[in-house]
Amino acid sequence: MKPSEIHLALHLWNRGHWRDYIFSQGMLFTASLLLIFFISIGLGVQNVLDRFLSSDLPAEQVRVTPPGMQAGFFQTETGGMEITEDIKVSLEELPLVARVDPQIFAHMPAYLRGHLGGQPYYTDITLEGVTSEFLGDSLLESIDWSYSLEDSSRKLLPVVLSENLLLLYNAGFAESNNLLGLTPDGVIGMECTVTLGRSSIAQLDHTPVTVRARIEATSRNMNLFAIGVPFEFVDQINFLFLPEDTRRYSALVITAVSAEDVPSIVREVEETGLRAETRRGIAQKAEILVGAVTAALSALAAAILLSALSSAIHTLVNDLRNRRFALGVLIALGTPYDRLAMIFSFQIFFMSMVTTILGATLGCLLAWGASSTLLSLSPTLRAAVDTLAVFPVGWLAAGLGVMLAASTGIAYVFFRKILSTPVTNLLRP
Amino acid sequence: MSIIQAREISRSFEGMEVLSGLDLTVFKGEFLAITGRSGVGKSTLLSILGTHDRDFNGNLSIAGNDTRELKSSELAALRREHLGFVFQDFHLLPSLTAIENVILPVVFSGGNLEMARSHAEDVLKMLSVRTDQTKTSLLSRGERQRVAVARGLVNRPSILLADEPSASLDEESEQILFNLLDETRKEQGFAVVAVVHSKGILERADRILELKDGILHETI
Repeated sequence: MKPSEIHLALHLWNRGHWRDYIFSQGMLFTASLLLIFFISIGLGVQNVLDRFLSSDLPAEQVRVTPPGMQAGFFQTETGGMEITEDIKVSLEELPLVARVDPQIFAHMPAYLRGHLGGQPYYTDITLEGVTSEFLGDSLLESIDWSYSLEDSSRKLLPVVLSENLLLLYNAGFAESNNLLGLTPDGVIGMECTVTLGRSSIAQLDHTPVTVRARIEATSRNMNLFAIGVPFEFVDQINFLFLPEDTRRYSALVITAVSAEDVPSIVREVEETGLRAETRRGIAQKAEILVGAVTAALSALAAAILLSALSSAIHTLVNDLRNRRFALGVLIALGTPYDRLAMIFSFQIFFMSMVTTILGATLGCLLAWGASSTLLSLSPTLRAAVDTLAVFPVGWLAAGLGVMLAASTGIAYVFFRKILSTPVTNLLRP
Repeated sequence: MSIIQAREISRSFEGMEVLSGLDLTVFKGEFLAITGRSGVGKSTLLSILGTHDRDFNGNLSIAGNDTRELKSSELAALRREHLGFVFQDFHLLPSLTAIENVILPVVFSGGNLEMARSHAEDVLKMLSVRTDQTKTSLLSRGERQRVAVARGLVNRPSILLADEPSASLDEESEQILFNLLDETRKEQGFAVVAVVHSKGILERADRILELKDGILHETI
């Protein structure tokens, strides 16, 4: 059968019945629109949560911190608990511990001066000393992670920037000061000067020390809160500025012999009064939150999809039922069954395809619009992700394909059922 | 030469026998009129002869084909190629024009559309039915009856099965219709099996069979 003949057949068959299709196709349109919208926004939200909750803490590591909160040289109440050298040694002696990597804050005010987008830039900072073992082999391949004050005339202080800090900068400081946002790739290679012993709000008696620094890498490691520099350098300047202070660690990262030993180590640490965090604990919290959001969005999308799809199919089937008589006439006059089935399947398939594509397109546009609106309203979101609408083409195509197959398939099955009815029954009023 | 041979045809509805082993032979080109009181099974017999009703006992051969042996698709082809129908209630699609109703089977069957359209226009003009864009739902009952007749003739059938084709027509229109049918029948050589009550039409028939007590009785 030629396309022009199919067109004429459908033109004659549908005359006066287009209104019957409006509801079913409207439901299908709504279903595809909402399906695309919820999938893309749902995945976008999941990405945001993953971004906020993800952690690079390996499974066999335990992060040990004081019970209070320490931010640079500002220390909240710790209940007298501080991580001293003795505690570090005692933890190192635990049988299940393979290694302990200490972290240490620079206990003096400091500031950073550089250029951002051609404009001079100044900010108070907190330096955190981390070991090369903490950074891991992948980062160390390209960075010489050693520095002391004696090196200041011939090399730059290597800096690893916490991406969490970058997030805070983008979401807060940059937003409120109309500064450009920074991406992790964009900051690598930036050079600046770091001055120790002085900041915008505090100054020590000791003469400030200024060194040139270069951002060598960024890190999503949750143990790095500030600006990471070589441990030995922070240890050296702490002693330089506050020689009478005992060495206090900001955190210890314990690596267990195996991941299975982590619970035992956590118990041992918690018995000392210190706080222990593991990837498992963090991941569980993240998984629960992401899982709940995903499940809620999926359930909502599934409910909408099912109700819309069933309404669309119900209407299509009802329309066919109402036109049993006309089908009976065509069969009585000798129209081949297969041709009828082919023509009507094609009609339902084509109509549903156009409807789902239109619905999906509008769904994409709505998701994109919602994403743009939300990101423009929330700097925090904007700093975390580029978009809240994710379009996994394969999955979306599969979802639409299922809808298309379901509507066409069910209508076809029902249509074949009508065709198998005796003609005399079809012609009966 | 016979075009339809029906042997021992029986048909029951919920235990009540309507046709009781009737025999019927229809010859090429003849006009066979079937009469009988209301409810004796005339329409049932036409449904069986038209292969619409297959739940009967007995043997039915149309144009040399044993209908019992044919699959649904082959039966459809048989209807398309050999049979024309004029239903008692016309069975037209109300949203279509007269000409569209007439060519509809050809449109769906993939036949020669231009030829069918031209033939349909000729037949409709002969029957004095308008060929404009008026929907059949707006036509008079008599006009719709003539459209139904035109649709029955459009595929140039070997047999035209007509269930009271002039029931809605006045005497003059009835005569015009059957004049045309006679003319076309003689020209094309198809047989007409019609349920008829009008004396004027019965006089035109080659044979008249009365359906009574489930079997056919020859009256001429």
